[in-house]
Amino acid sequence: MSIGVEKYWKSWAAALLLGSSGAGAAQGAAAVSGPELVRSYCSGCHQEQAGKFERISDIRKTPEGWVMTLFRMRQMHGLNLGDDVRDALVRYLADTQGLAPAESAAGRFALERRPNAQDIDLGPEIGVMCGRCHTLARVSLQRRDEAEWLKLAHTHVGQWTSIEYSASGRDRPWWQIASGPLPGKLAALFPFSSSAWNEWQSRPVRDLGGSWVVVGHVPGGKDFYGTARIERDAGGDFAAHYQLADVTGFAMNGDSKAILYTGYEWRGSAQIGARSLREVYAVSDDGNRIAGRWFDAAHAEEGGEWTAVREGGAPQVLAVLPQSLRAGTTTTVTIVGNGLGAATLPVSFGAGTSVTKVERSAQRIRALVTVAANAAPGMRAVSTGAAVGKLAVYAQIDQLNVVPGYAIARLGGGRVEPVSAQFEAMGFTRLPGGELLALGPVSAEWTSMPFDAEAKRTEDEKFAGHFDMRGRFLPSAAGPNPAREFSGDNVGNLTVVARAADSSRTLEGRGHLIVTVQRWITPPIY
Amino acid sequence: MSLARPHRTWTAGFALALSLCMAQHAYTATRAAAPAADLLVTAAKPDRLFVIDAAARAVRTQHQVAGANGQIFTIVLSPDQRIAFLLVDRMERIVGIDLGSGREVFRAELSTSAERVKDFFALMVTPDGKELIAYELPTQLKPSEYVVEEPRFAVFRTDAGLTARPVRSYPAPRRIHMLLARPNGQSFYALGFDLYEYDVKTGKLLGTRGIQKWALTDHSQPDLLAFWPVSEPTGVFTSPVYSELKKAGGNVPMTALMSLNLKSGELAYADFEPLSALIFSTILSPDRKHAYGVYTTLTSIDVDAHRLEKRVPLDHTFYAVNVSSDGREIYLGGTNCDVGFYDAAKLEKKAILKLPGCSDQTLSTLRVIRGK
Ligand code: HEC
Ligand code: HEC
Repeated sequence: MSIGVEKYWKSWAAALLLGSSGAGAAQGAAAVSGPELVRSYCSGCHQEQAGKFERISDIRKTPEGWVMTLFRMRQMHGLNLGDDVRDALVRYLADTQGLAPAESAAGRFALERRPNAQDIDLGPEIGVMCGRCHTLARVSLQRRDEAEWLKLAHTHVGQWTSIEYSASGRDRPWWQIASGPLPGKLAALFPFSSSAWNEWQSRPVRDLGGSWVVVGHVPGGKDFYGTARIERDAGGDFAAHYQLADVTGFAMNGDSKAILYTGYEWRGSAQIGARSLREVYAVSDDGNRIAGRWFDAAHAEEGGEWTAVREGGAPQVLAVLPQSLRAGTTTTVTIVGNGLGAATLPVSFGAGTSVTKVERSAQRIRALVTVAANAAPGMRAVSTGAAVGKLAVYAQIDQLNVVPGYAIARLGGGRVEPVSAQFEAMGFTRLPGGELLALGPVSAEWTSMPFDAEAKRTEDEKFAGHFDMRGRFLPSAAGPNPAREFSGDNVGNLTVVARAADSSRTLEGRGHLIVTVQRWITPPIY
Repeated sequence: MSLARPHRTWTAGFALALSLCMAQHAYTATRAAAPAADLLVTAAKPDRLFVIDAAARAVRTQHQVAGANGQIFTIVLSPDQRIAFLLVDRMERIVGIDLGSGREVFRAELSTSAERVKDFFALMVTPDGKELIAYELPTQLKPSEYVVEEPRFAVFRTDAGLTARPVRSYPAPRRIHMLLARPNGQSFYALGFDLYEYDVKTGKLLGTRGIQKWALTDHSQPDLLAFWPVSEPTGVFTSPVYSELKKAGGNVPMTALMSLNLKSGELAYADFEPLSALIFSTILSPDRKHAYGVYTTLTSIDVDAHRLEKRVPLDHTFYAVNVSSDGREIYLGGTNCDVGFYDAAKLEKKAILKLPGCSDQTLSTLRVIRGK
């Protein structure tokens, strides 16, 4: 697709984030009511009738979904829309025609832009009909009645002529299916009216202001924890101040500004250390938990987990770090959670462990934990009072799994950034009963080799890229390589190998990596 | 393609097609003795139409096609080989260019302000040169929605000048990708889900023969998508077809050659190898003994024995293939700015001509104006 569109997306990349249109302008547009904005910017084409606007009033979407639609209105239909008006419209539309948390749950991975995520399964027919160009999550993140699902089929064929001719389209009467039985099936799965949405809209607005306990994980890196102080401003947006540190004590402090769409969709733009990050989090129904994924502003594939719970809630353990201990070792263990501070409550790590040097606050316990050499492998309950967490005890690592087991990396070059692939080696121990117990990420040495005879023949491992020390595959530059057969691109089909030493043995885990061509356009919902 | 496994070169090839004029080997054109007095016609982004002297390995004329809007798709020649009809402007316009003067002598705007009409590659001129038939995929553009309408064949008079409007149109099936005129002038073939035959005058459907419904019980559903209605010099159109041969131990992907004799109507289809290299398009040799196929390799197929004869790797992907009138040379095009000249018997490279300006031929037809 054309490079021009990519450029436009870049200019829209900051949509959904506070300050993307300049505060003054945003307030100007925000001062005009939502319906008034729709009337003045949309009703020229989308007729207003009895307080409803043709098509616009018949669809519910996520904030990202609304951004994509407005982008198309501007790009393809010539709508002249300033960033400030766009932002005000997205707020209004996502708030009044959004998805309830239960409705967006299955497709959240796409909003969170998780790389190599497993798409949702809507059965073989919808899978081939609708899941070959974009995720089915994109489909599942909209709500329409049959008539509107049908109109979307018209849009697809009217706009993308080749849809009936490309692979997996031309092997069936694509249009006849898309305009026949499919809209009804989609409407049954994802209907416009739902009790979930009706109930959600009648809930009180949660104030997120206050202090929160945070735990998170950087894939290929380390776990971190700390506190977030969130303040709500007069306009209803949020500022957050983070005091975080990874398990080695390295500080990761920073700030974020966020908009809360639809009452629970937290979209933040954070600066942590030198890094600009995006936050795509969801607030729980009770307003006491914020969880999701953060990622690099320029590289959505680089990011990690985030969970925050309100300080002072019921006693609970959010994380025990590290999540596994080897028998016969002594390790500093951190428990993160709520209601951990009472000095009178003992801290227990379960059978075969002993604890010394306990430091504690309401949100954190640090303790030196010794696991007896003869401690039986297995899961232990970690508890202090009513707060309970888990810790795995093991004698040896018996299995290494590469996660994700299958990943895609994309070549970079020219205007398009490369897309790396992050792997982790997950350790397991085998319990006497034969079942495997997960031990969490294990540090490993990373290499790649040809996946099959064809990849070996074309020497893919030489051309496609290389691993860094923390399991991240960095692909090569795109473009025809005269050194390759047919001047081919630096694509590759590779087996990923992780090796970890465990006492005298070396364990190996394997995964599959496809290094493929550049993607020109990465819309907000892939 | 309904191929069992994703094919690396397939994606890589399309990536190549997307990017403009990239590093290529430079070859000096050898000005060898002419095997035939053929002229080649090809096009390149955004609006270039080239006429190439095949023997001299040189561009003879170059025309700039106004309003091409980025890419020239199908090229069809008038029977007298003087006019090239081009599908341009994002498949929404057909223009006729006088190859001698470069003048635009015909223009049909398929779209109107209320209706966007695309023609997915399918285009033909009747053997008497008087009419041009386009395949129209219309979409009604309402203020806030698109409404997909039923496709149709639209017939234009080729002498209608620059404001050509259809003189007749009649209903067509969906998913047609090619039109082929029959030499009798009375009917034409449309290739899509199946092979349909229509009456030129009335638009009556005269017959349907299977492609998807190919009566081959031992094969899976065949996959055929051909872009260019090239049947010269034999009057036989050929195309690769992919399907799986059903076997007890597991299906075997096979490549077949389909051939359609436009005069007799004879339609044949036979596997010639278990799939081992993708072929994008093929051409039949003048003596009808060999078919040549291209993609990342150049393949020669023994047509009567249904056998792979020879295969050689190419420097990069080529989509389009044609053959000299004497059958001695194979011409390659359709990607990058290279036009390749290969020895038909040995499949050896004789020369590569770089098009001036070196922009991509992206899926443009490679035509031959045959010497008399
Ligand atoms: C210049 C005309 C024009 C204007 C102005 C316009 N639209 Fe549209 N809109 C269209 C057309 C045409 C379609 C159908 C094709 C499509 O979906 O792209 C459409 C479709 C839509 C759809 C349905 C898309 C879907 O998900 O299937 C929505 C929602 C929408 N517009 C919202 C808006 C909003 C909100 C505005 C104002 C900010 C707006 N449009 C302004 C022309 C317009
Ligand atoms: C040939 C590729 C292709 C197929 C097949 C396809 N889509 Fe899409 N779809 C697209 C493209 C391209 C867009 C536009 C994205 C944009 O607006 O930037 C899109 C957009 C969408 C959107 C977002 C539209 C909006 O404005 O919010 C939805 C929902 C959607 N598709 C659903 C479907 C469904 C349902 C099917 C199956 C019937 C389907 N798609 C099949 C390519 C495809």
